[in-house]
Amino acid sequence: MAIIETENLTKVYRTTRKDPGLRGSVKALFRPQIVDKLAVDRISFHVEPGEMVGYIGVNGAGKSTTIKMLTGILVPTSGQVRILGRDPHRQRVDNARQIGVVFGQRTQLWWDLALIESLNLIARIYEVDPARYKQLLDQFSETLELGELLRMPIRNMSLGQKMRAELAAALIHEPLVVYLDEPTIGLDLIVKERIREFIRQQNRDKGTTVILTTHDLGDIEELCQRVIIIDNGRLIYDGPITTIKARFGKYREITFETCQPVYQAIALPEGAHIVTNGYSPEDRKLVLRFDRTLTTASRVAHDVMDQVEVNDFSLTEPDLSSIVKQIYNGALLEETTS
Amino acid sequence: MARYLDLYGLFLVQRFKILMEYRVNFLIGASSTIILQVSSLLTIWVVMSQIPSLNGWSYYEVLLIYGLITLAKSINHMFADNLWTIGRQYIRTGSFDRFLVRPINPLFHLLADRFCHDGIGNFLVGSVLVITATRQLNIPWSLNNVLYLVLMVLSGGLIFIALNLITGTTAFWIMDAVPIMRVVFDFHLFAQYPLSIYPRAVGILLTWLIPYGLASFYPASYLTDRSLGWVAWGAPFVAIILLILAYQVWKFGLKYYAGTGS
Repeated sequence: MAIIETENLTKVYRTTRKDPGLRGSVKALFRPQIVDKLAVDRISFHVEPGEMVGYIGVNGAGKSTTIKMLTGILVPTSGQVRILGRDPHRQRVDNARQIGVVFGQRTQLWWDLALIESLNLIARIYEVDPARYKQLLDQFSETLELGELLRMPIRNMSLGQKMRAELAAALIHEPLVVYLDEPTIGLDLIVKERIREFIRQQNRDKGTTVILTTHDLGDIEELCQRVIIIDNGRLIYDGPITTIKARFGKYREITFETCQPVYQAIALPEGAHIVTNGYSPEDRKLVLRFDRTLTTASRVAHDVMDQVEVNDFSLTEPDLSSIVKQIYNGALLEETTS
Repeated sequence: MARYLDLYGLFLVQRFKILMEYRVNFLIGASSTIILQVSSLLTIWVVMSQIPSLNGWSYYEVLLIYGLITLAKSINHMFADNLWTIGRQYIRTGSFDRFLVRPINPLFHLLADRFCHDGIGNFLVGSVLVITATRQLNIPWSLNNVLYLVLMVLSGGLIFIALNLITGTTAFWIMDAVPIMRVVFDFHLFAQYPLSIYPRAVGILLTWLIPYGLASFYPASYLTDRSLGWVAWGAPFVAIILLILAYQVWKFGLKYYAGTGS
């Protein structure tokens, strides 16, 4: 049985629009103009126990709204959501026992309390067996390197320390489903890696189901086999990450910094082209995109360097927002039909 | 129920740990209310030293009324101060959501989250006033009287909490509920004096609509042998009815929040 089921899940926010100025404010008071904003539009998907799913989309795509409906914070306008067969809003307390939530941007802990005190309190709220709690605390301390953090109040922690603390707090009751909203935002690579390792371990050892929203494709690549992409509230892709990577991972961007401004045309190998606005002689910058199945980085670099003197160059993978944009523009469809 | 009492105890212990970390803050907070009360009390003293009685109420009888409402207020201040900041501190910052993903009652979580030590000062002032007044007025400390006092003060506290919960819940719609809360809350200032000195409408208002009077004027009347009938016992019943009503309003607010999430 699926652990998370959504069926035509929809959320409409009803807001009042106000014209600018005092006049607008007065008008809005007496004759409010009601504007409906469709935040999530008929989304349906199933998640099986033990799956780790990346839930991605650009800002404002409807990620957080979906997560809030899955956690029971918000009620859907229409459609269904079932977590372990329960309605997460109506059966809020029963649902809350089985889920863990990390909102990357805000703390779930008590700002002024030492971490260990916060954890003790949370363990009691979730009625974690004391012996088990002790065991978990030792485990978590090791994987998340909580050591000296346990005695530290949250307010004194760095961003990375705080996130490790949040994760410990969200998982100390061994939830079956964990929602992680931007868990690695703003963190350095070492902390990111530690956090990913912790999530992987929880999933491996306990079969924890993980829903992960992130802007960092690295998180998704390291943790998830499956991604769901939404844009403008609509589900535009649900499938294995390998498909995404095969389709879009074949493009790479290469940026050259030339010694002199380049005004003449440059001959490029087949499969490579200059990115729109990617050619700016004043900044001595040249951005190329090439298809890895048609040419290679060394070929592109060789050809360019033959024609102009290059100071520096770098290779980048396309970022999430450009992938989403391409999918939204029907690139996925185009490629499967052609 | 036992679980919630247990949890409340834990929250309280943690809260005091935080307060002890900021010892100076704690002392300033707890004593600030005492200083505020002293200035109000000076006013009463000045007025009462000019006139022997206020509509038939002596200085110490007025102090009894004042002390009772102060005690009731201190209960609200200590245990339900967080209602003032639902909008500013919880909804606006988004941290209200954490109450909704935990397996306990969100209102309990909100209230337990912050015991307010500033209320301790009010509690001490109120206690001193009631004790002094009852002694001066030769009101015997019989078991009956003591139980009556405790019941009235607790009921008064619940009336404060229920009214603040009703007005505070508007934060789900208007974010900053403090102005609305303030308007209703400030009516308790009338209940610091005998209701009989005001126009009839004010008396009715403070008995039936915003019933702070039930926690001060009526119990004081009862203790000073001014028979006012069953209204002297009205506070606990009204407190319970108001609390039930307030909780429904709160649930309605929660439902609205679940629809908008902001």
